[in-house]
Amino acid sequence: MISREDKFPAAKRYNVADVQVSREATAVKPAVVANMIKKASNPVLITGGVLLKEPKLVEIVVKFYEKGIPIIATAGSSKPLIEKGVRPIFKTYTLHQITQFLLDGDFRINGKKVDLAVFLGFLPYYLSRMLSALKHFSDIRTITIDEFYHPHASFSFTNLTKDKELYYSMLEEVVSKL
Amino acid sequence: MKYGEDLPIDLGGDVNVEAPKIRTVIGIKPKTLGDLRKALEWVEKEIVKVLHSTHIGNEESLIDYESKAMHVSMADHVGMEVADIAQIVAFGFPKAKPDTDLVPTGFGIIDVKKPVIVVVGHKVMYSRPIIDYLEKEGKLDEFEIAGLCCTAHDITRYRSKGKIFGPISYQLRVIRAGLPDVVVSDEQCIRADLLEVCSKMGIPLIATSDAAARGLPDVSDWDVKDIVEALVSGKLKGVFLPVPEKVGEVAPLVAKAIFERNKGRKYKFFASDEELKAEIAKCTQCMSCVFTCPHNLRIDQGMAFAQKTGDLSKLAVLEEQCIACGKCEQACPKGIKILNVIMRSNFEKLYSKTGKTRVGRGPIQDTEIRKVGQPIVFGQIPGVIAAVGCINFSDEMKSIVEILEEFLKRMFIVVTSGCHAMDVGMIKDEEGKTLYEKYPGNFDAGCIVNVGSCVANAHIAGAAIKIANIFAMRPLRGKYVEIADYILNRVGAVGFSWGPYSHKAASIATGFNRLGVPVVVGPHAMKYRRAYIGKPWKKDKWWVYDIKSGQKVFIEPAPDSLLVAVETKEEAIVQLARLCMRPNDTSMGRQIKLTHYIELSKKYYGDLPDDWHLYVRSEADLPSKMREELLKELEEKHGWKIDWEKKKIVSGPVRGYDAGFNPTIVEEVYAKYRR
Repeated sequence: MISREDKFPAAKRYNVADVQVSREATAVKPAVVANMIKKASNPVLITGGVLLKEPKLVEIVVKFYEKGIPIIATAGSSKPLIEKGVRPIFKTYTLHQITQFLLDGDFRINGKKVDLAVFLGFLPYYLSRMLSALKHFSDIRTITIDEFYHPHASFSFTNLTKDKELYYSMLEEVVSKL
Repeated sequence: MKYGEDLPIDLGGDVNVEAPKIRTVIGIKPKTLGDLRKALEWVEKEIVKVLHSTHIGNEESLIDYESKAMHVSMADHVGMEVADIAQIVAFGFPKAKPDTDLVPTGFGIIDVKKPVIVVVGHKVMYSRPIIDYLEKEGKLDEFEIAGLCCTAHDITRYRSKGKIFGPISYQLRVIRAGLPDVVVSDEQCIRADLLEVCSKMGIPLIATSDAAARGLPDVSDWDVKDIVEALVSGKLKGVFLPVPEKVGEVAPLVAKAIFERNKGRKYKFFASDEELKAEIAKCTQCMSCVFTCPHNLRIDQGMAFAQKTGDLSKLAVLEEQCIACGKCEQACPKGIKILNVIMRSNFEKLYSKTGKTRVGRGPIQDTEIRKVGQPIVFGQIPGVIAAVGCINFSDEMKSIVEILEEFLKRMFIVVTSGCHAMDVGMIKDEEGKTLYEKYPGNFDAGCIVNVGSCVANAHIAGAAIKIANIFAMRPLRGKYVEIADYILNRVGAVGFSWGPYSHKAASIATGFNRLGVPVVVGPHAMKYRRAYIGKPWKKDKWWVYDIKSGQKVFIEPAPDSLLVAVETKEEAIVQLARLCMRPNDTSMGRQIKLTHYIELSKKYYGDLPDDWHLYVRSEADLPSKMREELLKELEEKHGWKIDWEKKKIVSGPVRGYDAGFNPTIVEEVYAKYRR
């Protein structure tokens, strides 16, 4: 949980006319994200198309992979990851398809149900609807570590759109504490 | 009907199966304009019935609810066919002609030394008389008539002297630039604040459709000269004039008078560079605009960079993706004219984004279907990609051309309509050519067909239906279920709406879904909250009846989704290729389709697809250049047994290939053809 003393930017919502939320995500610090991933029995990191435009995010995902976190790559984000040695569990399906899979109680990764899905590198308005579906129709915990605060997630970084360096340092902190 | 209920439906000598959608859904063969009334009455009745059920949420089962969405969208497709057939026969639009004229398209198309009449919306009935009047007066060359959104397509289908300004998102671009001398609006994709934005620029507005009367006085009974005087003098900012012939006379007279009064108007969004700079200086990077923008475009970064360096390039990039909705300006606490700043920053590129669109041709010829029916059903033509809908792209406008050209080069058939079709007409290659100038307009492999406006989408669905009828001799009248089943199992057509925006786009997509055509949509389609996505790992769910063997046969998941959203152009390309596969593909057809799927996956995803092996029925399905490599992969990664001496698959596939395989998922169809 982010407290006032943490001095993180506010968890400010975007597209308020479109994204109606009755139960908002808890804004979390990097250390909390790392702890939740460590405590999860079968976590997965799902990556999106922003990786094609932001090499730093590719670098971060490689580090997640090296720490043993399974990767599902969507939107073509597999290409820069594969070039850096990552072997994603899936690379063909869209986030839309992956979300439908996650909503299905029979879906397994490495033989087990996914209990925690972490999202990185998505267009905010696209990810938002997927998080909404997962919030309402599954018991999977979701964490977003994108620049935008995502109200539909279970847990989310605050709004970091104003400070790229802070955002990247937070991603690095998550990885370093895994 | 002004043109006479007895006016025959004649769509040209090469179209004998006219109105395939009406025949299949309603079971009638319309012969005259009056016969279309029966179809329209059916559509209206069904829409009311669905509204009756859904307005308060009567349905308990989600399946029944989805069925209603599909039903009402199918009815919408019938309505589109009615509309387009009516305008083709009554207004003399092109009748299935592949080589229609090329018309200027884009922001910079008009000669600013002439009065400019801009028509906007979806109903050409009100703007067509403008051309009639000017032709009668011999003054057509003295004016510029350009359209926005689907009316633009239809005005060029009426006369190729008309021009296409651009899609729905060009409304504010064109009006804020001060290009029109008068604006004529009709209905559907028109801004709700059109009167306000026009009057701020001193541009009179003629609202013509009772779907958007805008609180304006109805001047139907006024003399033309009184209407002109009221608009030119500014006594009225706009009028409601639902009388096509009067619109035809009033619009040119008003345009001429306004043009003469406003000679020397600036066309660059700001009077001077200083004014632009002062506007940019107001920005405090509060992020209100970014959080309001549907694309969350980083306006803050563009403004900050321009403030620090004077360089407008980061703002200019935003123009390539901005849909010019104007929500950012409503949110800005400083009242910055953000849109004008963005448009001005990219003005030269915006102005030069000007090319040519091939005029919408309407239906596909029966002779064309005869030629391509078999290769499509057997798979030698790897697929039909139908790019339709709005411009709410998650990427720059040129992305639509990059995606479609990938398939044109690979000898798919590409069909387009509506705002996608006009975007294609704006983007030129290094030699200054648009796709329409590089690829022919036939319904054939490696060609790009523009059918016309959104209602002309009915001809794309119609082409799929005609394949079943003309190639496979399946009867149409009232046989919708059988035809949709045929298309789902055999016709590798995929819809593509890269920039979904209006609910009409959603309805068109869902109507295609009901016909058995999968649709790939851009990320904004998530707002429609619909997913028709199968689970490929549930192997017991993927089966069909084989009419030949009389068995229930487990099959590959082809296609595994009917409606799926993608995030990037790379993802769009790969999804389109994979969803072209069908159970009925011959070995050669599957080999061709699989080759494209694998090549595109390697190119854009950096590796083989996750699911390629599911589509392999025998070694003959494997792309020949990669056969050895893929056999090895099948053995090592998927545990298939390979006879390496004969280079044959011994075991592994979901099913083997059978040349007589005759799939259906409909029990009645199975029973009918097993007899």
